[in-house]
Amino acid sequence: MNANEQKLCAVSEMDASCRVPLLALFGGAALWLVAGLALSVLASLTFHKPDLFADCACLTYGRLQPAANDLILYGFCIPAALGVVLWVFVRLSQAPLCLPLLPVVGANLWHLGVIGGTIAILAGESTGFTWLEYPRIASVLLLAAFVLVALSIFGTFGWRHHRELHVSHWFLLAAMLWFPWIYAAANFFLVICPVRGAAQAVIDWWYTNNLLFVWLALVGVGIAFYFLPKFAGRMLYNHYLALFAFWTLIIFGTWCGIPQGAPVPAWLPALSTVAAALVIVPIVAIAKITLKTVRGSHAQCKGGPFCYLKFGTAAFVLSSALYIVQACPHFSRTVEFTWFGPAQTQLQLLGFFAVVVLGAAYELLPRVMGFELPYPKVVRFQHWCFIAGLALLVGSLAAAGVVQGMKLADPKIGFEQASAATLVAFRVSTTGLLFLLAGSLLFAANILVMTARWKFGLLKTCLAAATAPLEIKEVRS
Amino acid sequence: MNHDISNPKPHATAHPMVPIWVISLTVTLIFLAGVYFDHHSGWFDARVYGPYANAEQVQMYQPLAGAEAERLHGKQVYDAVCGTCHGADGMGMAGKAPPLAGSEWVLTKGFKRLTEIPLAGLNGPVTVKGQSWNASMAAMGAGLNDKDLAAVLTYIRSSWGNKAEPVEADDVKAIRAELAGHAMINGETELKTIPE
Amino acid sequence: MKSSLPIFLAVFVALGASFGGFVFGSISQLGTAKQTLVLNSTETYPVQRTGNATLGLQVYRANGCAACHTEQVRQEGAACELVLMGAGKKPDAVAEVLKEIAPAGGEFSANDLPKTLLRGVTKETADVAADKISTAGGKAEIHISAVGSDISRGWGIRRSVAADYLWDYPVQLGNLRAGPDLANVGVRLADAGIQLRHLYAPRSTVEKSAMPPFHFLFETRKIGATPSPDALPLTGTFAPPAGYEVVPTEDAKNLVAYLLSLRADVPLYEAPFTTAGPAATPTNAPVAAAEPK
Repeated sequence: MNANEQKLCAVSEMDASCRVPLLALFGGAALWLVAGLALSVLASLTFHKPDLFADCACLTYGRLQPAANDLILYGFCIPAALGVVLWVFVRLSQAPLCLPLLPVVGANLWHLGVIGGTIAILAGESTGFTWLEYPRIASVLLLAAFVLVALSIFGTFGWRHHRELHVSHWFLLAAMLWFPWIYAAANFFLVICPVRGAAQAVIDWWYTNNLLFVWLALVGVGIAFYFLPKFAGRMLYNHYLALFAFWTLIIFGTWCGIPQGAPVPAWLPALSTVAAALVIVPIVAIAKITLKTVRGSHAQCKGGPFCYLKFGTAAFVLSSALYIVQACPHFSRTVEFTWFGPAQTQLQLLGFFAVVVLGAAYELLPRVMGFELPYPKVVRFQHWCFIAGLALLVGSLAAAGVVQGMKLADPKIGFEQASAATLVAFRVSTTGLLFLLAGSLLFAANILVMTARWKFGLLKTCLAAATAPLEIKEVRS
Repeated sequence: MNHDISNPKPHATAHPMVPIWVISLTVTLIFLAGVYFDHHSGWFDARVYGPYANAEQVQMYQPLAGAEAERLHGKQVYDAVCGTCHGADGMGMAGKAPPLAGSEWVLTKGFKRLTEIPLAGLNGPVTVKGQSWNASMAAMGAGLNDKDLAAVLTYIRSSWGNKAEPVEADDVKAIRAELAGHAMINGETELKTIPE
Repeated sequence: MKSSLPIFLAVFVALGASFGGFVFGSISQLGTAKQTLVLNSTETYPVQRTGNATLGLQVYRANGCAACHTEQVRQEGAACELVLMGAGKKPDAVAEVLKEIAPAGGEFSANDLPKTLLRGVTKETADVAADKISTAGGKAEIHISAVGSDISRGWGIRRSVAADYLWDYPVQLGNLRAGPDLANVGVRLADAGIQLRHLYAPRSTVEKSAMPPFHFLFETRKIGATPSPDALPLTGTFAPPAGYEVVPTEDAKNLVAYLLSLRADVPLYEAPFTTAGPAATPTNAPVAAAEPK
């Protein structure tokens, strides 16, 4: 074999080593995305027809909405991201995946935890803390699963041939350390050994910010900084600026999160406001790096993974801008406690993170599986489904939030009147969710068919090996 | 997509530095952040909540002076010292103490005689609101300081439907000085000799 | 950069800082807090909730009420009022001072007391004016009240502070107002009957309410020998079929006990006030209780 063929062999061997872990992670994740969006649709129907689930305790809005949110975050976002990160590390290290059994076990534990947690929430056993509703048992499973996957990632990192660190190494390795710390700490101080009084709320806000803002940014930007240069066919713009963005993101971003009107001493919201202002720096830096890397490249995207990543990174900049604006005291007075907050969260989760991970998944899956996507045209269609769905969902909720906030600020306007203004927005946002649901079904279809085709291929190989005629060997006399 | 494994190119351009505008933006924001924190945080004091900027402002907004606080103070003293016998509702208790609500001895224009009762003590027969009482009251006010006694007298003169002028701490001081060493007031006969 | 050690250090420093600051800082300040005193009183605050109310908090948590309701009142400022209580022995001197402080107040008359001289001023201004009046021999009172859109809306008389949540686990602050704030709902809607009917059929108490009905917290059963005293007085489309009554379950009763225990209306050192501000605009007041047939 000549050198080129050797290289290709090595690449396909690396990719093949990820196959089972990635399918385990993506398969479950795709199903959870569909389930989460379906539950979100059901939850939003409550605003059109409140009587819908009056008799059913497990479908009441207060249980549906947290279950849906957690399914999207813990069910889809984190495992799918871990899958992409595994593959990115394999490619960056140019070595096969280390200890591939660990992520497989981890994936199964994770999905088990998500099932248990979702059932618990719908049964009324949620912990009562936002974004941390899964009860103790499910949390332990999730933490253990994450640690197993992280071990494999660290192992793969340790096996790397070229010792120079890529920018994505910084972002993604930090993320692997970040999540276990915040998850374990939050569960310890809120569920296992609860603290007293308003300290619970502070720790919940600390956890939510560090997960939904910092962790998602670290992983999403890390993935984007790996893929974007490859798609654009150029180098990542300014290594030092990227590292500067990393440092400022983790140093300042971790202090955001306490809302302005919170019933806690003034220094807590003041620190968060200050941190939100300072976090402008890494966001601007990331925006500049992305623009300079992508603009002027001659690569076409045609609704493919490159488009996903461009859209996702743009959504990141927008959702971070909304997050920063929400922390500004003057604006926060109007939009705090309105639908503006959920709009920003949905933009961050679905608009930025889910899109980036889906784009990366579509790019890496054909390489890992060794064959093309079963429905390649669907990728472009799904891209437009997501853009339309997000525009409708986020746009309507954000507008509703601002209008609701302005009306609530005027005490002469009754509460019902202020809420009535949001009803129109809900019709639009439910439509947006339906678009997103359709897009997620397309992804699930791709994954499931790929898994089925691979398993069928395995089966065929086994059968062929079992039924092949025996070789007749000459016996030298 | 490139899969160049053998000769790893540098994956990112390396301009010599982080651009200067990013650094200056960071420094400016840090400065503004410091100013904001100084004005709005109360410097980690657990008792400072927005909208108050610092501990001094919270302290300033405490409703210390004012008739309401004094009245509350008077009520506290009354409940602690007088209420057991005269009743929390000022209606008195049979065999123990006459009522203060609507009492002609309380609702006087002046307050000299009223102040002398707790300062010196009172025993012997007294008629209050048409009823005859023959209890004995120790000098319950002798142990109170001027401020407390003034507050409780003001309280009984403005509660339970009573409406009479308040009593000042300075007046109590003067009356106490005048009264020094006086024995218990003996019944209504002696009480009537004291000017109101 | 070849080693990954700086990454570990970066995470340790950055996350360790906010972990120490927010988590341990808040635990040391708020997590070790004890009961505090009501302002100018010997009463302790907060009083622990009754057993039923504590169980009700768990029903609140299990049904995710915090997904639509907040339990925190915000405050934007504090305003003072200066009220002249007495003219003392020198009404002319007081009148002179009044001309200086409140020139628009018109002629001062000793029969016109108590008279509000200044409204919506800062404490410094009020203190200076009160000082001038007392030097002139008069008596003035300063009334401090909390100001904000939540407060004008009648959702509270002061902002919520950490002491309000001392006994709660889990603290259900909420972060979305799809429904009104509940921090003082025990003061605002002190009637258990209205609360129960609102839970069973929100539109029977508040027209056009978007709140889902919680039928599963109630039991619709055949009326026995006599109607149950707990049965809800429902009319019209909300009433159960003839011969049936709607009775609250233990969960519903506990939840209502919890809601009735929600109040944050005493002045504290952190959130002082002496009086309620100008009358709050009543909003979303429930429809007057329909007479039971």
